[in-house]
Amino acid sequence: MAEIRLNNVCKRWGKVSGVDNFDLHIKDEEFLVLLGPSGCGKSTTMRMIAGLEDVSSGEIWLGDRMVNKLEPKDRDVSMVFQSYGLYPNMTVYENIRFPIKVRKVPKELHHEQVMKAAEMVDLVDFLHRKPAELSGGQRQRVALGRAIVRKPTVFLMDEPLSNLDAKLRVSTRAEIKNLQFRLKTTTIYVTHDQIEAMTLADRVVVMNLGRIQQIATPTEIYDNPANTFVAGFIGNPAMNLIKGTIESGVFSAENIRIEGLPSQHSGPITLGFRAEDAELKEVQNAINAPVYAMELLGDSSMIALMVGGELINIKAPKDFRAEIGSQVSIGINPSHCHLFDAESGDRLSQDI
Amino acid sequence: MEQTTVNRRPLLLSTTSSLFLVLWLIVAAFPFLWTVWGSFKVEADFFSRENWQLAITGLNTIGQTGSAFTGDGYQGAWIERDFWKAAWNTVIVTVSVTAISLVLGTLGGYALARSARRYTLWILITALVFRAMPHITLVSGYMLPFFEWNVWGALPTAIIVLVAINQPFALWMLHSFFLSIPKDLDESAMVDGCTRFQAFRQVVIPVMWPGVITTGLFSFLLAYNDFAVTAMLLNQDNQTMVPKIASFLGTVQTEGAVMYAVAAVVSATVPLFMLVMFFQRQIVSGLTAGAVKG
Ligand SMILES: Nc1ncnc2c1ncn2[C@@H]1O[C@H](COP(=O)(O)OP(=O)(O)OP(=O)(O)O)[C@@H](O)[C@H]1O
Ligand SMILES: [Mg+2]
Repeated sequence: MAEIRLNNVCKRWGKVSGVDNFDLHIKDEEFLVLLGPSGCGKSTTMRMIAGLEDVSSGEIWLGDRMVNKLEPKDRDVSMVFQSYGLYPNMTVYENIRFPIKVRKVPKELHHEQVMKAAEMVDLVDFLHRKPAELSGGQRQRVALGRAIVRKPTVFLMDEPLSNLDAKLRVSTRAEIKNLQFRLKTTTIYVTHDQIEAMTLADRVVVMNLGRIQQIATPTEIYDNPANTFVAGFIGNPAMNLIKGTIESGVFSAENIRIEGLPSQHSGPITLGFRAEDAELKEVQNAINAPVYAMELLGDSSMIALMVGGELINIKAPKDFRAEIGSQVSIGINPSHCHLFDAESGDRLSQDI
Repeated sequence: MEQTTVNRRPLLLSTTSSLFLVLWLIVAAFPFLWTVWGSFKVEADFFSRENWQLAITGLNTIGQTGSAFTGDGYQGAWIERDFWKAAWNTVIVTVSVTAISLVLGTLGGYALARSARRYTLWILITALVFRAMPHITLVSGYMLPFFEWNVWGALPTAIIVLVAINQPFALWMLHSFFLSIPKDLDESAMVDGCTRFQAFRQVVIPVMWPGVITTGLFSFLLAYNDFAVTAMLLNQDNQTMVPKIASFLGTVQTEGAVMYAVAAVVSATVPLFMLVMFFQRQIVSGLTAGAVKG
């Protein structure tokens, strides 16, 4: 149990850059999720912490030790691999026991520790089986059991749920959350599934192209995305982003005009708002556009509109119906709008 | 009516295939069984020019020894002509070659399979070229230096050359077995507390076992059956079984010496059968791709 610090960590393969200038401080007992699209460097970051990949530059600290030069076995971490990495020739019992066996824990303690871990991941009935004789979810739990059989400084989990079906994923997600709450071990969890990130994390690190985009709590990331990438990545549907111009607090683009925005900005800008922050009503200060498509989701209806050359989504009550092509008016409270720099995509100050 | 035609075809097919199998078995097994049978006869019977049936009836054998079967061939080869020594030398050579090939092959194959460097491919290609060369070219190249250094004729010399000949094959074979084992396996072992070598020893090799057995068996057979190297590089005292049998055949002047060769051939073949029988399960799973995956 310890805090983890990554100081300007970089990973390059020749000219290819996998992780760029990664700077992060993870608190003790924190559940941190690395979230980002495929190929953004999540696994690479985790593998550098585990010692399976050398860092090109920067420092990794686990607790008060600088571990850059340490072998994986000396870093005192446990890792759950995306493909589980179970030992096929050993039974479940021997798989779970392996870490304490190679780490020379006294023999008398083995059985007790293995049984405790097996109980936690609910595998007591399968201890004599080989991994090949287990279902995907059970294998996943073996990998988890093997990780928790000893008390490491940090748990690393690389997309542990990606091979499970949707239902199992939900229940195993809850198990992991509960387990981490009981064990209180600092955990780094990699995923590209934002729902997993939102439900599990104390803090989320959103990554793209090897760079950190934002580090914040799930709510903060949802409510105040740091740039257009985060805004467009988080949420289902993602935030609507419209390119237009702002002049003395008035944003305008094709089919849209919003007043009452912060007035210190002017010129081209990107405006963002969430589908559920729009209201269906006849107002001047808003969107007036023909319906492009309608989706009925059961608990609500989703209206797609063409605004400023982009398709945007508006959430409407479930009984709302409109013909494709008919005009609708949508009102948006300026305080629910987010402003982003048109060039860099960075969030602009919202103070009026 | 229709029923019978439907039934007849598989019957016909199965009879044909059984017949074919039996025929093939006879063709393949006959020479060996014939030799085993003949090895218990005397030369006048087994190599009779007038009447091949003598080999079956064994009239001369009865005449010369008093019974239809005789162990004279074995007695002569093993005791009089020191075939036991050749057998012992074969044990030394084959076991050493197999052991050294496997140690170097597993370590090297593992390193090559896990290395991301580009030169690994070139090492493997070079190995293949050496494997493709006729063995005798290697031997002729070695001859002169071995004489000069005064190491010609000794067992270790032949062992080293045989290892050199066999290593490319062992390396290739084990390399591809290691490639079929996911990297995650070693990596989780290392995170779990193993050094790279412990991960190799405790996690990868146990999973690899069929591959090791299969490669070991082929290495064993190469050393066991080799004639070119052992005949050229070993002196009379250190001869292994195969050149020894050849030398029996070369001295047919003495009556019965050719029967020594026959007895020796049978003696040299039996261990191979036992070996293949003993390891057949591992060999089958080693030769079946994907068997090593969890
Ligand atoms: N050995 C390597 N040599 C060169 N480039 C590599 C190497 N390993 C990874 N990369 C590159 O580094 C980038 C990050 O890879 P990484 O595996 O960390 O992605 P990821 O975020 O885990 O993606 P995913 O969600 O698909 O697992 C990718 O663009 C990948 O192509
Ligand atoms: Mg990954």
